[in-house]
Amino acid sequence: MAASDSFATEGNQPFFHFYLELWRNDTFLSALRVSVWVAFISTTMALIIGLFLTRAMFRLFKRDDWKFIAWFPMLIPHFVAAYICFLLFAPSGWFSSVVFQIGWLETMSQFPVFVNDPMYLGVILTYVWKEIPFVILMLLPVYQEMDLRYEDVSKTLGGNRWTVFKTVELPWIWPISLEVFLILFVFVLGAFEVPALLGVTFPKMIPVLAYDWFYQAGWVNRPLAQAMMVILSLLAIVAAALILTFSQRWRYKWASRRDDS
Amino acid sequence: MKKIIPMIGLATAFLYGCNSSAEEEQHEDLMDADWDEVISQAEGTEVSIYMWGGDDGVNRYIDDYVAPALEEDYDVTLNRIPMDAPDFLSKLMTEKQADQETGTADILWINGENFRNAKNNDLLYGDFAFKLPNMDEYIGDEPAFVHTDMGTEIEGHQVPWGNVQFAFQYNADMVEEPPTTIDELIQWSIDNPGQFTYPNVTDFTGNGFLRHILYDVADDPAALETFNEEWLDENGQEIWDRLNAFEDSLWRDGQTYPESLSQLDQLYANGELAFTMGFNEHRADSLIEDGVFPPSTETVVLEPGSVSNTHYLSIPFNSPEPAGAMVAINFMISADAQINKLDPSMWGEGTVLDVSRLTDEQQEEMEAYIGPPVVEQEEILAELDSKYHDWIIENWEREVVQQ
Amino acid sequence: MTRKRKLWMRLTMLSLFMLIFVAPVILMFLKSVSFGWSWPDWRPTQFDLRGWRVVFGDPRIFSSLWNTILIAGVVVMLNFIIATPAAYALSRFHFRGKAIIESLLMLPILIPVLAIAMGLHLTMIRLGLTDQVLGVIFIHLLPTLPYAIRVLKSGFDRLKNEWEEQGAVLGANSQTVFWTVMVPLMTPSIRSTAVLVFVISLSQYVLTAIIGGGTVSTLPMIYYPFFTSADEAVIASFSVLFALLPIMFLILFEITLRVYLRVIKRP
Repeated sequence: MAASDSFATEGNQPFFHFYLELWRNDTFLSALRVSVWVAFISTTMALIIGLFLTRAMFRLFKRDDWKFIAWFPMLIPHFVAAYICFLLFAPSGWFSSVVFQIGWLETMSQFPVFVNDPMYLGVILTYVWKEIPFVILMLLPVYQEMDLRYEDVSKTLGGNRWTVFKTVELPWIWPISLEVFLILFVFVLGAFEVPALLGVTFPKMIPVLAYDWFYQAGWVNRPLAQAMMVILSLLAIVAAALILTFSQRWRYKWASRRDDS
Repeated sequence: MKKIIPMIGLATAFLYGCNSSAEEEQHEDLMDADWDEVISQAEGTEVSIYMWGGDDGVNRYIDDYVAPALEEDYDVTLNRIPMDAPDFLSKLMTEKQADQETGTADILWINGENFRNAKNNDLLYGDFAFKLPNMDEYIGDEPAFVHTDMGTEIEGHQVPWGNVQFAFQYNADMVEEPPTTIDELIQWSIDNPGQFTYPNVTDFTGNGFLRHILYDVADDPAALETFNEEWLDENGQEIWDRLNAFEDSLWRDGQTYPESLSQLDQLYANGELAFTMGFNEHRADSLIEDGVFPPSTETVVLEPGSVSNTHYLSIPFNSPEPAGAMVAINFMISADAQINKLDPSMWGEGTVLDVSRLTDEQQEEMEAYIGPPVVEQEEILAELDSKYHDWIIENWEREVVQQ
Repeated sequence: MTRKRKLWMRLTMLSLFMLIFVAPVILMFLKSVSFGWSWPDWRPTQFDLRGWRVVFGDPRIFSSLWNTILIAGVVVMLNFIIATPAAYALSRFHFRGKAIIESLLMLPILIPVLAIAMGLHLTMIRLGLTDQVLGVIFIHLLPTLPYAIRVLKSGFDRLKNEWEEQGAVLGANSQTVFWTVMVPLMTPSIRSTAVLVFVISLSQYVLTAIIGGGTVSTLPMIYYPFFTSADEAVIASFSVLFALLPIMFLILFEITLRVYLRVIKRP
């Protein structure tokens, strides 16, 4: 449906007319850049922080009652999370008020800009906060079932922390981390609510731009919007196939190696 | 007798099922029927009104006043369905493609470019406006807003529901000498950087602000009466120059703009900005009362004047209860309903009625709600063709934001 | 690591978690009961329940709440029914082109909703499923199933085959093995799936609006439009209500799960 509309043509334009036009469109290109930037940074950060928290948690809490706290952001829908971010980090937000009360600020315009900023820091912050629990959720069971005898072996062999991590934990968590990365990356690339609330006028993230093109100015930009969606979907599918194949191979390799030992 | 007619109507509808020619016949029948027949057909029906639902006052006006009154007077049940205009138009568009002859919406709240889209895509029921007795009784044929909606011929496809004026709100604690013209406003924001901005022009209010700039650049408002490309070619650059001249002193140095009026309002409510703006000159009243806006909020109209905007009610092509819809719309433009709409503790917005056609008593009631007019008659500017709206959206981002 | 140090670290971590993950929500609650709270006050000065009055004054609030819970509940159940066999198969059997099938199963979260909304709507009209709860439930499976399959699959992945084999050796049939051995072992994955699916179903606006056509009223349907207003007290109240639903669901689910496990453990 979307695909066929995006190929619709007038007169003797080639069938990929809208795709060419998209490629020459600066608004689209900058949207693509900023989308990839936000998706990459927020996913990477969520993954790294989530990994650290998981490691700490699983060592500290044997019973899992307390991990519900870390789950908390997962219970909050994305647009509510964006709103919370605004409440906290806007120049008129809570942190700014506190800093003013301490006396470090004279006017609110001195507060650094975290929301609706061209670097999309507010958006990134919201996504990191929201996605860490998902990372923990996916990683914690892996750790709980990890065979820690390997860790002791590695330690007695004189490995430092990093080698222990690399040889014992990484093989276990690598495939699942890749998967988590994929899911989150693609999700951030396609989600509308958070950038709509915390983004800027230019450059927009792709979903916001698509929404504009879908609904504004007499619907004339609809084919462009659909072409954009088709590209995005294709990219996502190719990436998914690649990552899943890769993580499967990795899993087989390790499974067989473990069986050998 | 009263109950037999709808029974027959129902029976025929049932017999013919979703047959579209039967639908069309029914459509014709209803258009030819006299008003009493429409009222009796409407009896006992359930009517859904699709409208933006983000204002507590507007919602309460519908839920607490219109719906109970309709139930009592006409035995029509009104359901309010909160949905944005682009969303329900998209929905109707798909239903049109799928030939779904019986939809879910009976009344739509639309205007301007949404109306143009709906009409051009045949998503509306048809020429029903002057079937409604209250159209003749209270509004008449004369006002321009009965015939065109931002340059689109109405041809009876929608009925005016409310009239609002564009006005600016400012925080008197932050603005000592309020500007009286657009020029002074620009100067004020240069002197007080970071405290003024306007919404993205894809937002209706942001676009309205730019239409005021257009009027300000035009020496003679008559030049803008119809869509005038020549004039735009000549003066377009002046418009962008004017905006770029003070862009650096806007909120966030003009790097970004609030995406919507609600964001602008929030920034204003939080004290980040000294000004906000919007259609509906009375809108500050209820917002102050609810503690959203600071109590020091004042409303002002800047020269060259205030663009007026009319919003409308319409019926979609596949309304399941067109008779009920007509009865409901007719009620909503009655004197009682329009007077109650002025109540600032509920909605508080301007009427579409021709005040001279009301009784003295009704006129007094109106006055009691709104007091003296905020916008003087000679300050009112006609709403521009919606092609200007599109032209602004097409060019603004490139000419102003990306510069 | 000494005991004391471990306890101390635990406390630090807990308070850090509270600060990062829970405190923001409390701030939101304060916002919902405050009146005219603005910069530079770091705490509310006046209290007022107007936001909550607006929320519960909406004539459709209770039917919407009921619809929301009903839809999300059924969607969770359907997810388990469909995703469990799918995840099991993906985890246990290896075949050519499996990666492709797996990525196809992830399609619904890979493709932006806007791109397929119209096509979906057309299809659903032809199926006669629009404008009713059934259609909405059906359409909510799209954004939830991929997650359910992924989470359950990684659960099965970690569950070693031996457990099932041992059960089988002991003479239990596969049904009993499933309910008495696998389900208890899969508890973490089951819990995650349930919560994840519930939250995703709960926050669907676009799909519900298009397929439910406005006649199926869920909480986001009345809540979302307020995001296009400046009324922060109302936004905050709705947000708190929104956060409470999954928490209540989680508690309920946890109780059911524990009761079930207890029953199973009885000889």
